[in-house]
Amino acid sequence: MTTTPVLDGFDELLSSNVVLVTGKGGVGKTTVAAVLALAGVASGRRTLLVEVEERQGFSRTFGTQPWDYDEREFRPGLWGTALDPSDAVYEYLEMFYGLKRVQWVMERSNAIDFVTTAAPGLRDLLMVGKLYEIEARRREDGRRQYDLIVLDAPPTGRIVPFLQAPEGVTEIVRVGPVKRQAGQIREMLDNPKRVQAVLVTLLEEMPVQETVEGVQKLRAAGIAIGPIVTNKVMVERVSASDAKVIDGLPPDALASAGNLSGQTAALTKELVTAHRGRLALQHELRDDLASRAELPILDLPLITGKTFGEDDLHVLTDVLAEQLGEKAPRAREAVPADWRPR
Amino acid sequence: MTHLEDRIERTDIRRAIERAHIIVTTGAGGVGKTTTAAGIGLAGATAGRRTLVMTIDPARRLAQAMGLDDLAPTPQRVDLPGVSGELHAMMLDMQSTFDGVIDRHASDASKARNIKKNRIYQTLSSTLSGTHEYMAMEKLHELHDEGTWDLLVIDTPPTRSALDFLDAPKRMTSFLEGRLLRILLRPAMATGRGYLRVVGAGATALVRLAGKVTGMELLDDLADFFGNFEGMYEGFKQRAEQVLELLSEPTSQFVIVTAPEPPPLREAKFFLERLEQEGLHQAGVVVNRIQPALDDVDETAVRSAADAQPDTDEGHAVAGALRMLADVASLATRERRDVEAALFGVPLKALVEVPLLQSDIHDLDGLEQISSRVAPAA
Repeated sequence: MTTTPVLDGFDELLSSNVVLVTGKGGVGKTTVAAVLALAGVASGRRTLLVEVEERQGFSRTFGTQPWDYDEREFRPGLWGTALDPSDAVYEYLEMFYGLKRVQWVMERSNAIDFVTTAAPGLRDLLMVGKLYEIEARRREDGRRQYDLIVLDAPPTGRIVPFLQAPEGVTEIVRVGPVKRQAGQIREMLDNPKRVQAVLVTLLEEMPVQETVEGVQKLRAAGIAIGPIVTNKVMVERVSASDAKVIDGLPPDALASAGNLSGQTAALTKELVTAHRGRLALQHELRDDLASRAELPILDLPLITGKTFGEDDLHVLTDVLAEQLGEKAPRAREAVPADWRPR
Repeated sequence: MTHLEDRIERTDIRRAIERAHIIVTTGAGGVGKTTTAAGIGLAGATAGRRTLVMTIDPARRLAQAMGLDDLAPTPQRVDLPGVSGELHAMMLDMQSTFDGVIDRHASDASKARNIKKNRIYQTLSSTLSGTHEYMAMEKLHELHDEGTWDLLVIDTPPTRSALDFLDAPKRMTSFLEGRLLRILLRPAMATGRGYLRVVGAGATALVRLAGKVTGMELLDDLADFFGNFEGMYEGFKQRAEQVLELLSEPTSQFVIVTAPEPPPLREAKFFLERLEQEGLHQAGVVVNRIQPALDDVDETAVRSAADAQPDTDEGHAVAGALRMLADVASLATRERRDVEAALFGVPLKALVEVPLLQSDIHDLDGLEQISSRVAPAA
C-alpha cells in the first residue's frame, strides 16, 4: 500500500539547524528527540542531541555513561551533551570577560546558586545562550559544527518563557553584552531555517489541548513549528466488525479457541471493548488536533515489548521514515502496513 | 506474585483520607496528579469530611467532572447529593496570591505598591522557578489558618522535578534574604550609586562584573526591591518555617503519584527517599494508568494461538483479540517490572494501582471510579 508521504523526506522534516522537541510532561519528548536525532544520523547529518532538564534521559535510553557538559560522539555521527547552568555561567564569563578565576569566587560565595536557580530567568537565558553558541559554531572549513541539533526542550507550559528568557532579561537590563546577545538569539529564533519546534503529544484529552495551546503560543512568539508527532498511538488489533464477532462469542468459545482460562477469556472480552473505546477516542482526538493545529501529523506507535531500549528507537525511526517516503526496512517489526489512524 | 505485591497495603491512603488534615499529591508532570487529588477529595467528602481540593491547572473536563465550569481562585462547593461531607475546589492563581501576600504583609501601602511595580518583582512573580510552589505553601498556610477545613488536598505544580516542591521555601527565602546580594548592594542601598566601593575583594570583582554583564539598572532595581522588601523577609521566612512544620506533622500526608514508566518512577523514588530523610509522612504511592495484571497469560503461547486461528471471520476476530491480549500482557509485564525495579528497597507504605481507563474523566462517576481505586472501602 502506498500513501502520500506526510512530508517530503528527512530533508523537509529536518530542514532547520535546530529542532526543539516539546510537549506536555509525560508524552515521551525524550524518546521522540532521540528518534529525530537518529533520523538525522540516518540522513547523513552530523547530529547533536542536547538535554537541558538534568534528567539523564538519553544516557539511560542509550545505555551510555551519564552525559555532561562536554559534547561527546557516543554513536557514529551522533554526539550528546547535557547542559548544566553552572557550567554555562563559567563558560560565559570566560568567553566574554576572560574571567577564569571568577569560578572559585562564585563557588565560595554561593553566587552560583543564585545565578542558576534563583535569579529571574537567568537559568533559561544561559541555556538558550549556550544553544545559540553551539548553533553558531563553525568548523575550520567554515561548515557548521553540527548539521542538526536536537534539543529535548522544556515542556509546552514553559517553552515560550524559556525561549524568551533573553528578551525577558533585556527588559531588566538595558545595556551590556547580554542585551546585544539577546538580539542575536532573537534573530536565530525568528529564522525557520535555523530553529523549528516539534510538538509531541499523546492522543489523550489533556496533551492534545496543551499541544493546541502550545502551537498558538509558539506561533505568537514567532517560532517556526514543524510537524506534530503523536506518540504511543495504539495499533488497531481488533476492527469494529471483529469486535462485534467477539462480543457475540460466549467466553467458553473464546477460551477454547485461544487456550485461555475462563477468567482470562472474560477479561479479554472486556479488553476488546476497552480497545475499541480507546481507538475511537484516538480517532476523535487526532481529527480534533489536525483541524485545530493545522499542521502535518506524524504518528509513532506504542511499542508493546516487554522491554524498551535503543533497538526500539531504531524501529521507531523507521516507522517515522516510512511516513516521509524514506527507506524503512524495520518498520514492519512494530506496525502493520496500514496502521496509521486516518 | 511479584515481590512488591507482598508489600501492597491498601489501607494507608484510606486512613490518611479519614484522618489527615493535609494531603499533598506530588509526582512528575503528566502522571495524573490533579485527577488523583480530585479523587482523594471526593473520598474525603464521602467519608464525611469538609474537604477542599486546591489544584494548579485542572483539565477543563476535570473541572466539569466536579460540576464546575471553571475553577475559580476561591473555594467553590461541588454539588454532591447524598454525600455526608463537603467537597470544595479551587485553583491556585500565582499572581493574585503573591500580590495578596505583599498587600497583607508590606509595612505600608506605598511599599506594597512599589514592590508590585518593581521589575524584579514582576519577573520573580511570573517566571522564577519555585514561585509557584512557594505560593502553594503560602496559600496552604492561609487556608490552614482559616481553620474551617477538615481536609486540605494540595495538588503540586508541574515542575522540572517533584523535589522542587520541598525545596521551594528554602530557595525562595534564601533569594529574598539575598545575603549575598545584600553584601553586594549594601553601599548601593545606602548611597544610591556608590556601590563600587565595596566590602572585600571578591565582592568587588563580582559587583563590577555584574554591572558589566547586566548594566546598572539591574542593581538599582535590586536595591529598590530589597529596600521595599525590608521588614517583610522575616514574615516570609517565618511562614515558610511554619508551613514546613505543619507539613512535618503526622496529620500531613504525602501521596506520590506516578505512571508505570521509568522517568516518573525515578522521580517517585527520589521523592520517597527525600520524605524519609526529612521526616515527612507518606501515605503511599499511586501508580496511575497501569495495564491490568495478567500473570497467568503466557504471551508467546497466546501469539502462537493467534497465528493458528482458522481463516474464517470468527478465526480472524479471535486472532485479533488474542494479539491485543498479548500486547496488553507484555506491556503489563514491562510496567510491573519497571515499578518493581524503581521502588526496590525504597521505604513504601502503600502501593495502589489505578488501571488505564477507557476514556478521560469527565463526570462524577468517573471520579468516583478513581476515588474507589485510590481508597477502596475497608
